[in-house]
Amino acid sequence: MSLMQINNLKKSFGNLEVLKDISLTVEKGDVIAVLGPSGSGKSTFLRSLIDLETVDGGDIIIEGKPLCQGGKYIPMKERKQVLDKMGMVFQHFNLFPHMNIEKNLLVAPLCAKQADKDSLKEEAKKVLDKVGLLDKLNDMPSTLSGGQKQRVAIARALMRNPDILLFDEPTSALDPELTGEVLNVIKELSDEKMTMLIVTHEIGFAHEAANKILFMDGGYVLAFGTPQEVLDNSGNPRIEAFLNKVL
Amino acid sequence: MPLQQWIPQMAEGCVLTIKLFLITALFSVPLGLVFTFLYTTKNKLINKIVGLYILIMRGTPLLLQIFFVYFGLPYVPVIGEYLTINDRFTAGAVAFILNYAAYFAEIFRGGLLSVDKGQYEAAKVLGMTDMQTRFKIVLPQMFRIALPSVSNEAIVLIKDTALITAIGLTDLLKVTQTIVNRTTNISAFAVAALFYLVMSYVLTVFFKFLEKKFSF
Ligand SMILES: Nc1ncnc2c1ncn2[C@@H]1O[C@H](COP(=O)(O)OP(=O)(O)OP(=O)(O)O)[C@@H](O)[C@H]1O
Ligand SMILES: [Mg+2]
Repeated sequence: MSLMQINNLKKSFGNLEVLKDISLTVEKGDVIAVLGPSGSGKSTFLRSLIDLETVDGGDIIIEGKPLCQGGKYIPMKERKQVLDKMGMVFQHFNLFPHMNIEKNLLVAPLCAKQADKDSLKEEAKKVLDKVGLLDKLNDMPSTLSGGQKQRVAIARALMRNPDILLFDEPTSALDPELTGEVLNVIKELSDEKMTMLIVTHEIGFAHEAANKILFMDGGYVLAFGTPQEVLDNSGNPRIEAFLNKVL
Repeated sequence: MPLQQWIPQMAEGCVLTIKLFLITALFSVPLGLVFTFLYTTKNKLINKIVGLYILIMRGTPLLLQIFFVYFGLPYVPVIGEYLTINDRFTAGAVAFILNYAAYFAEIFRGGLLSVDKGQYEAAKVLGMTDMQTRFKIVLPQMFRIALPSVSNEAIVLIKDTALITAIGLTDLLKVTQTIVNRTTNISAFAVAALFYLVMSYVLTVFFKFLEKKFSF
C-alpha cells in the first residue's frame, strides 16, 4: 500500500481553476520536490493535502484512510485522526511568538495529551538537538535568526512523530547564507527515510536530495519522475524554460 | 478651612473614584471580550446586533447613558419595572460597564485582526482544536497587541469617572467643588488635578510593566 494516494484533484478559487487534474502516488520514504512556475498551484496542492484548503473534486487517501473521496470530505471530527501522522512546515515559520522554544514544541502535544509532560520534555530536547538548537530551549522566537526559526519549526513538526512532512518553500524567506542549515536538516531527515513533499525553488537541492520531482504547471502535473528524467533531459520546452529562468 | 482638612476629604472622594474605576475595569474587559467573540462569529444576525450595540454605545455621550440607566430605564415599556436600579452607584457602574465594554470590544477586535493567519494554520496542522487554538495561541497574542490601547482606555476611564457626579454621587471632583465653594479658594482644584495625575501615573507605570512582562 502506498503511503498517500492522490487522484484527480480539482480546486477553484472563484472562477480561477488552480488545480485542474492532479494525481500522485507517494511511497514510503519518498522525497518529492514539487517544482513549477509561480501561480501553478504548488502551495494550493500541498495545503489541500493537510486540510488547509478544501478541494472541489478528487480523492486524497492517506495511509489507506480517505480524507476525501470524489471531493466529498469525511466529517470534521474524523479528519484529525486521518491527519494525525502529517506535519507541515511553512515559508514564514509561524512559530508562536509569545512562547519560548520549549513551549512552542510542547503546546500541541500537551493539548492532544500525546504523552505525559516529562516524556514530552525529553522528546523536545531530543528533536531540538537533532536540528542543532538544544541551547535555545528557553529562548523566545524573536531572538532567533530565520534559519534557526525554521529549524525550530521543523523540530516542532517532528514532535508529532509524523509519517509524512510537507514543506512549502521552507527556505524562501531566508537570507541566502541561511538556507544551507535548513536544507541540511531536511537532508538528514531524508537519510532517515522520512517521507517528504517539498515545494522549493532550490533546483540544486531538489536534484540532490529528492528521489522524485513533481513538476506542476497551470494546475496540471507536467512531469513526474526521477531528477534525471525531469530535470536533466525532459525534452519539455516548458520545463527547460523554467529551469533556465531559475538557474 | 486649612489644607490639612481638605486632603482627607478629597482622599475619601478618591475612594469612590477608584471603586468605580475598578468595578468598571473588572466587568467591562471580560464583557468586551464576549462582544468581540459575538462580533466575530459566523452568525450574521448576532454580528449585526453586536455591531449596532457598539455603534450606539460609542456614538452617544456616556453622560446620556448614565442618565438613561438611572432615570430612563424605569420608563421602558413593559419590562421597565424589572430594569429599575435604585442605587445610584450601581446604576452609574452599569452605564460605565456597558459603555466601556463596547470600547474594549473594538480594541480586542483590532487585536484579533492583527494575529497572523499563519498562527491558526500552524496550530491546525499541529492538531490543535479550535478552542485550544483560541485560548493558547490567539488570545494571548490578541491581549498583547491590545495592551497599549487598553492602557489608553484605562486612563480615559479614570478621568471619566467624574461623570458619575451627574446622578448625585460624591467623588473626588464633587468634594473638590464643595471645598472651593465653601472656601472660595480655587487651589483645591490644583490638589484634585494632582490626585488624578497620580492615579493616571500609577496606571501608566502598571501598564508599562505589563507591556514589558508580556513582550515578545
Ligand atoms: N485563498 C485564495 N483565494 C484566491 N486565489 C488564490 C488563493 N490562494 C491562491 N490563489 C491563487 O491560486 C493560484 C495558485 O496559487 P498557489 O499559491 O497555489 O501557487 P504557487 O504555485 O504556490 O505559486 P508560488 O510559487 O508563487 O508560491 C494563484 O493564481 C493564486 O493567486
Ligand atoms: Mg506557493
